[in-house]
Amino acid sequence: MRDVPDGALALGLPVTPRMSASTAARDVQDARWSALMAAAQAGDGAAYETLLREATPRIRMLCRARIRNPAEVEDAVQDTLLTLHMLRHTYDPTRPFGPWLAAIAMRRAVDRLRRHGRTAGRESQIDDLPEAAAAVQPDAEQRLAARHLRDAVAALPESQRTALRLAKLEDLPLAEASARSGLSVGALKVATHRAMQSLRRRFGVEEPAAPKRGRREGE
Amino acid sequence: MRTDDLIRQLSTGLVPVRRVAPPWRTALLWLALATLLVGGAVALHGFRHDIAQRVMLMEEQVNLAAALLTGIAAAFAAFQLALPDRSPRWALLPLPFAALWLSGLGWGCLRDLAQQGWPALSTSFGCMRFIIGFGVPLTAAMLWMARHAAPIRPGPVAALGGLAAAAIASVGLSLIHHLDAAAMVLIWHGGSIALVTAASWLFGARALRAAGP
Repeated sequence: MRDVPDGALALGLPVTPRMSASTAARDVQDARWSALMAAAQAGDGAAYETLLREATPRIRMLCRARIRNPAEVEDAVQDTLLTLHMLRHTYDPTRPFGPWLAAIAMRRAVDRLRRHGRTAGRESQIDDLPEAAAAVQPDAEQRLAARHLRDAVAALPESQRTALRLAKLEDLPLAEASARSGLSVGALKVATHRAMQSLRRRFGVEEPAAPKRGRREGE
Repeated sequence: MRTDDLIRQLSTGLVPVRRVAPPWRTALLWLALATLLVGGAVALHGFRHDIAQRVMLMEEQVNLAAALLTGIAAAFAAFQLALPDRSPRWALLPLPFAALWLSGLGWGCLRDLAQQGWPALSTSFGCMRFIIGFGVPLTAAMLWMARHAAPIRPGPVAALGGLAAAAIASVGLSLIHHLDAAAMVLIWHGGSIALVTAASWLFGARALRAAGP
């Protein structure tokens, strides 16, 4: 049984020679990716890197079909790559690679949209107030500060940047952030803490005084 | 982080992984575990005193078979759905059997009502204890075996796991416990199965995410 039929056949559309040629090309590509994934499952890092590089444009295309904002699309692409990595043992090389990849990409794109929807919902309530809108008009100084902050975050080591993005910016629960990043909860807490320390140092912000009723890092 | 850097990071120091077993094999393993546990409890309690007459009744045979098939189908569907590339339509697999089981009990209720009037309903928390007592650990075992479902479909997999576990526990209980009125079976068995399934959907998805890869 083919579970996820795709393209014109699934929609009952007539198949033109051009379409069948592109379907054949896609099948060849799928067979190649399937072989690369089988090698990756056996521990071949080079095959895995080739696979991820070749598949990323298709992942991007799938995410773009759901998400308009280019930055969100790239985040969804990265989420998909992380999930693909986490679930690489669930791929069965006797089955086509395309539907497996598409299912993961769709899931992550939908998650990204939902999260964005929630954030946008919260933001619009405040922005709707006229006085609030006036108060938060971005001026040149604010834009410059934002630029500096973005540069500082970009300069952080990889693991700290990932930890900061998942635990602080996206405000994910630790367990989910841990699952998405592949870092343990402990490592995630340490990386978030170090990232915050590093940013504070860079902007000359004093460490906050020790809280009276211990609020734990990463909560 | 740039996507190129992420790809490089993921491919560096890649370790070999063991592929998950085909869903039918994992389902069979889980069903064997469930049969062993529930069968052990049945052997321990002994069969109900009227078992010989009950299993000769066509209606009873249909009800038992439908509940058993609901459990088996839900287990197969759960392990199929745990894989990313399987169709979400697998979730529908146990529904015909569940419908057959519910309609059999519903028909039994109507017949009881016509013959004897509404049967005296009493509480049977023993049924609930048995189904929940076996349903919850068996659901947990399934969630562990299907933990790779966490990033894709945690809710449906957890709910199907709960349905499979509770339906099989209900079959075991039917062999032990003397509960004749269809309305009683519907309320206590059906109610307990619905409870375990709903709880699995609500809490199992969270547990699955916590236990996931």
